Amino acid sequence: MERNQQLRRQLAAMRQSLFDQGYLDEQFIQLEELQDDANPNFVEEVVTLYYRDSARLLSSIEQALEKSNTLDFNKLDTYMHQFKGSSSSIGAKKLKAECTQIREYCKAGNGDGCVKTFQQLKRDYATLKKKLESYFQVARQAGPKEIASRSK
Amino acid sequence: MLPSSAASYGSSSQVDMMVPEQFPVGLGVLVVDDDSSCLRILETMLRRYLYNITTCSQATTALNLLRKKKGYFDVVISDIHMPNVDGYKFLEHIRLEINLPVIIISFDERVIVVMKGIHHEAYDYLIKPIREDELKNIWQHVIRKKWNGNKEIEHSGSFEDNNRR
Repeated sequence: MERNQQLRRQLAAMRQSLFDQGYLDEQFIQLEELQDDANPNFVEEVVTLYYRDSARLLSSIEQALEKSNTLDFNKLDTYMHQFKGSSSSIGAKKLKAECTQIREYCKAGNGDGCVKTFQQLKRDYATLKKKLESYFQVARQAGPKEIASRSK
Repeated sequence: MLPSSAASYGSSSQVDMMVPEQFPVGLGVLVVDDDSSCLRILETMLRRYLYNITTCSQATTALNLLRKKKGYFDVVISDIHMPNVDGYKFLEHIRLEINLPVIIISFDERVIVVMKGIHHEAYDYLIKPIREDELKNIWQHVIRKKWNGNKEIEHSGSFEDNNRR
């Protein structure tokens, strides 16, 4: 099954680059370890749930940021705290760091910093989503049991 | 599709009441969290221990379940932060009125420190993201507490004196 081998190699490479580029951390590996025959698509399911829930939170954050003159830093900080928490569930390393950064800006009352970092966060959020979607697509093609060889 | 040993009560879509015909052997765990990815992770971890897990994303649904199905649930695992709900009141209600052991989960360490300060041993705590082995350890602790029900009441008496609502 050469095609399968190719797919698996591609899959492993995609996975590795997500870690190398700092998009994912340890927690993602925890999720992979929970995936088994009883839950063959567990990781994809969890990620899908995350993107569904966080979409709502993100639009609340955007609304809060639109009022740039009367920015409610406390509210924004609460949202970022929430977003950071849920991002940590899937091991979204970059997004977590960006949340922390925005929270720092909130404490300092730096509205510009908040807005700029949030724009970056949105881009990384979308990039991660695309990358994970491709990853899961290849995973499904490669075969249900094999998600990736966890080479250290 | 969920196996028959677990039932899910979601908030966004219709509430599907999937109640098993017979009450299965195994402890009844109710997991409450508005974060659906967390809920899914916990459900999967707990299912590995062959417990009967019910998941819930809203406090009001959780309370209804606990009242309707008294005796089915043995322990509640719940996040303390849920929008539009006083998490603290909700958990105290479960612990005292409904009289079930509660494990509090949160990604905020500070919240846990505060709760520990107020409630000491009354709750067990886990910080998110939760590891499977942590769940195992806490579980033994909860069972021990349940079996020491009488002793617990003696102890909790002194806590209530300190924490007048």
